[in-house]
Amino acid sequence: MEVKFAVKRYDPITNADKSTQTYTAEVDEGDMVLDALLQIRDEQDPTLAFRGSCRTGFCGDCTMTVNGKGAIACRTKVKKAWDGAEDGAIELEPLKMSRQMKDLVYNAREFHWNKFRAVEPWVDPVQPPEKGEHLVPGGHDKHLTESMRCTQCGLCDQGCTVLVVDKTFVGPAALTKAYRVVADERDSRKRQRLDKLSLPRGMWDCTHCFEASEHCPKYIEPTDRIFDLHDMAIKAEAGPPKVVHHYKSFAASVKAHGWLDEGRLAIETEGFTNVKGLMKLLPLAVKAGLKGKHPMPYMLHKKRPGHEQIKRIFEKWESKG
Amino acid sequence: MTTNGQVKTKYAFYPGCVSKGGCPELYEAVVQVAEKLGFELDDKALESAGCTGAGVLSKEVSDPINARTFAMAEAAGLEIMTICSTCQGIMTQAHHRLKDEEYRAMINRDFLAEEGLEYKGTTVIRHMLWAIVEDFGLDKLKSMVKRPLNGLPIAHFYGCYMKRPPELMVPKEFAKTRKTALEDVIEALGGKAVKTSGRGKCCGFPILTSNEDNSMAMLGDHTLDAKAKGVKAMVTPCPLCHLQLDGKQADAEAHKQEEIDMPVFHLPQLVGLALGFTPKEMNLQRHLVSTKSIEEELGIGVEVKA
Amino acid sequence: MPQHDVLVVGGGFAGLRAALGARASGADVGILSKVHPMRSHSSGAHSGINAALKSGDSWETHAKDTIAAGGDLSDRSAVEVMCQSAAEDVVALEHMGVIFNRDEEGRIDVTTFPGSSQARTAFVGDSAGHVILQVLFEQIVRSEIRIYDEWFAASLLMEDGMCKGVIARDLRTGELHPFHSKAVVMATGNLGQMYNGGTCSLTGTGDGVALAYRAGVPLIDMEMVQYHPTTLADRGILITEGVRAEGAHLVNKKGERFMERYDAEAMEMSTRDVVARAAMTEVRKNRGDKGHVFLDMRHLDKARMTARLQETLWLMDDLEGLDPSEALIPVKPGMHRPLGGIKIDTFGDTGTPGLYAAGECASTGAHGANRLGGNSLLDCIVFGRRAGESASRYVRGATWSPATADLVREQEEMLNEVTAKDANSDTAGAIRRDLGEIMDKNVGMVRNLRGLRKAANSVAKLQERFGALGIRDKSGAYNVELRAIREVGNMLDVAQVIIGSAEARQESRGCHFRSDFEARDDENWMKRIVAMHSEDGPKLDYEPVEAG
Ligand SMILES: Cc1cc2nc3c(=O)[nH]c(=O)nc-3n(C[C@H](O)[C@H](O)[C@H](O)COP(=O)(O)OP(=O)(O)OC[C@H]3O[C@@H](n4cnc5c(N)ncnc54)[C@H](O)[C@@H]3O)c2cc1C
Ligand code: SF4
Repeated sequence: MEVKFAVKRYDPITNADKSTQTYTAEVDEGDMVLDALLQIRDEQDPTLAFRGSCRTGFCGDCTMTVNGKGAIACRTKVKKAWDGAEDGAIELEPLKMSRQMKDLVYNAREFHWNKFRAVEPWVDPVQPPEKGEHLVPGGHDKHLTESMRCTQCGLCDQGCTVLVVDKTFVGPAALTKAYRVVADERDSRKRQRLDKLSLPRGMWDCTHCFEASEHCPKYIEPTDRIFDLHDMAIKAEAGPPKVVHHYKSFAASVKAHGWLDEGRLAIETEGFTNVKGLMKLLPLAVKAGLKGKHPMPYMLHKKRPGHEQIKRIFEKWESKG
Repeated sequence: MTTNGQVKTKYAFYPGCVSKGGCPELYEAVVQVAEKLGFELDDKALESAGCTGAGVLSKEVSDPINARTFAMAEAAGLEIMTICSTCQGIMTQAHHRLKDEEYRAMINRDFLAEEGLEYKGTTVIRHMLWAIVEDFGLDKLKSMVKRPLNGLPIAHFYGCYMKRPPELMVPKEFAKTRKTALEDVIEALGGKAVKTSGRGKCCGFPILTSNEDNSMAMLGDHTLDAKAKGVKAMVTPCPLCHLQLDGKQADAEAHKQEEIDMPVFHLPQLVGLALGFTPKEMNLQRHLVSTKSIEEELGIGVEVKA
Repeated sequence: MPQHDVLVVGGGFAGLRAALGARASGADVGILSKVHPMRSHSSGAHSGINAALKSGDSWETHAKDTIAAGGDLSDRSAVEVMCQSAAEDVVALEHMGVIFNRDEEGRIDVTTFPGSSQARTAFVGDSAGHVILQVLFEQIVRSEIRIYDEWFAASLLMEDGMCKGVIARDLRTGELHPFHSKAVVMATGNLGQMYNGGTCSLTGTGDGVALAYRAGVPLIDMEMVQYHPTTLADRGILITEGVRAEGAHLVNKKGERFMERYDAEAMEMSTRDVVARAAMTEVRKNRGDKGHVFLDMRHLDKARMTARLQETLWLMDDLEGLDPSEALIPVKPGMHRPLGGIKIDTFGDTGTPGLYAAGECASTGAHGANRLGGNSLLDCIVFGRRAGESASRYVRGATWSPATADLVREQEEMLNEVTAKDANSDTAGAIRRDLGEIMDKNVGMVRNLRGLRKAANSVAKLQERFGALGIRDKSGAYNVELRAIREVGNMLDVAQVIIGSAEARQESRGCHFRSDFEARDDENWMKRIVAMHSEDGPKLDYEPVEAG
């Protein structure tokens, strides 16, 4: 099968203006993009730079942008990429979160590994047992085990909508790693970690848009893991007061009425005593209120039929701990 | 029975919190448009259902609440119709988890049995957008258009939950209808669907409280990109996106120091306009960003009073 | 100018464990690796790590199994150290944060691997390696050990009979820098890239082995190249032995469970050398299908497979589009792990002051002529730790002065020579592919004198082609061409040693099979082959193995 690759090349010295080079390669049906690149490097152009190590999708090294989307080259079939190619060639670029250093190599250290370090990614055991292992009856949580499969490939970061507008956001890859330690029962710093993750640019900047999960090649569901971190923080009352209020108020509203009371939510989110925050709400509330759009804060919510059942479910859940 | 010669399609209607709270205009538009299309919205079946949790509540409590909703629809023998991407997304995810028999049995036993309910795992949940393309049909929709959109360039803005997680929201068997559902509706109404960079992205609403700057940057980027591509209006199937795109647009203008002025429609409003409803009937006067420009483009609007 | 007490070269299991060991015993440590540590070959290890953790098992039984699997060639004291430390080292991993599957009481669960007489392989689903590497790296970050990732170690600084550091190239800039250190721990891993159909990562180019060899450090057991019995037929990707531990069958094209013919008692649970050779024999006798046999997993419980073999199921699906609950999985043996390498004692000591080694690039002799599944990881963890600790002890007592500027300059000039040469049409990659073909064909699972001689001649020709290589990419930044040239040069040198050692061992034992000497010969060959560098190729010597 003959295929074409359009590679966005770059070299700080010999090709600073980023030309695109097209390679034609004869590949097997079953070949992966990484196989094809290795073939091109060996047979046509030994100067073509890309990363790659384990060849099996476990090391996260050969990440690149294939036809506009982040991918692991050793787990991406050439055939599939070729079928999805738009301009007669499979488009290859480096990951886009950070500087292109050469050809398909992006600056992972500057972007990825610094964020990784920022979440203090290691378990601090309470007090390791003197003899033998920690006992974990029932085994580790399923999601913890799953999240250990994360390769730190960073594709979720490439998909992340927030990182597009704010490179300082910690991002889903590091948060998945954070989940791994927070969810580990052997760790002694759960609360402290949740507080730290709640600092600006931390986990509360996540929008839950599920881009991260969509981009994860390991089916780890990083978005769900961030949800879980939020849940744990709310339970522990960690997190910025405004956000905790928001979550609590939401829950209280649903618990009491069966559904959401937006007016109450807005006020409670800002905090009844946060005058400045409330003032900020006012323009929207007044404008919207005049237009009949936003419920005025003082409007009391009608309880929904069935609300007592919802309340019962809440209480049942709370009693489960 | 029949309206416009159509066999009625009956759904257990789940309007969600926002359509009755922050976006009352949506609810009214849905009711009118549904009637016109011959959808029968049963608003009794789920009358006592709770909020989906919107991704804010822990799954541990929202899954039982949603299972309860599903059980009620199941008992009524109806599919659920939602009009909110977030409701749809959260319900679909819960629905997926509840396919696990052990998990479902636990929820039934611990949470639903006391009320005499049991969820058997068969409920189907369909957003109105999908109901239009899948149950009603684009051709039929086209044939009912009274006021074609005249090639008006419109940006489709799905919001997060109509598309992700893809294996749940756009599974293989629905790839044909759901991948381009919103574009297809725009085109069926006579408009021109314009691809913008924000089309499948998050609008920024969920982080309004935690990081308003980022939220505004996202909103600003999406709307400004639409503007740069010559788009005249945006349309969304998600009322939360609408709250953001329309309700917070002024703040995004301040954040970006740039005029945006991009009218944003709820999906049913756009359908309604094309089917001949007046802007007033669709409650367009309730938007914060005026839709006058569109009304003028379509040669209407003179009769509308605020 | 980077300077550390202990410089660890390599960021896989062995390197990271060595670094932690050295750090814990007080040394200032740096890690230098040509890929980021998390990108190491170790990340791809699936199955697990052996330790006698359960009552009824003992380190002595573990040792017995290890020696039996190794064709009795194992160094007894190395086996003893490895098996005796196993439980403690595995528990230490647990304390660091490795999760491990658990039994009902919540203790580390174990499973029975082919070749083991007891259930003693601790595992994490089928991603033990990945999880352990992650956790080791977590601890590296915690210990604030300095990491030089994407640096390529190009030569050793040898002076006054000792190792005083390395010269390494920063892949980002292309610049060479001397790393002065009192001790170096070599942990560069596999050399499997000199074969075409192997399970090894792209980093496995035998760099550390070649660097030590050229510096005059002895290599040992180099003829022992282990094949894994089951790799995906098309792509040589390893399918874990965990699959057979779960009860998968091996069948030929007629559907016969052919292991009956080769080891009727253990069947699929026999040792790697036996199973690999059986699969190959089936193919040779025309009972295979297009060069492969099949794994039959259709009778296995689906839910349990998903729980225990999730990654393997995805591999099969992503790479081959196969669902093992419905289809047979075509597999063939593939080159997997060299058992030989830099000669070390159980302290990771190479005998050259200042130079230590561990992991796949080194050999204590623990594995003899064939390695048990789950013992490789263990080897890296135990001997990695010990190498780090020994290096740390050594630097405390060492009188040391950094390598002289002259030596550094001389080495750098040597390493930069190639950059001045213009390229012909040949490439390092093409040479590597040709080398792979030669090694697959003549230095693979079955060897004989004719093939080995042929291989030696062909490698000599490749050496000439190598000498004529020049360079196209004149930029320093991420110059992969330059790296590939060094790597293929390393592989050519090491290949010579493998071929020479394989020719010398005139018997068949474990993974070394000579079709011209099919029998095991205890009378003459209870000894290990040591190879030293000389101008006219490897010079061999022998070291007896004490049975018992
Ligand atoms: C698919 C697969 C499955 C396996 N499953 C198991 C199993 O279940 N149980 C088991 O016991 N064993 C298993 N093994 C074997 C085990 O994984 C290896 O023995 C082990 O990973 C080797 O670790 P290492 O640290 O020696 O080398 P590696 O992990 O290969 O690390 C080598 C390091 O050296 C660095 N390096 C190399 N050259 C240079 C240079 N020139 N300059 C700088 N740095 C350099 C690399 O960057 C890398 O960081 C498996 C192997 C494979 C391939
Ligand atoms: S969560 Fe998934 S996408 Fe993100 S770094 Fe980990 S493996 Fe990659």
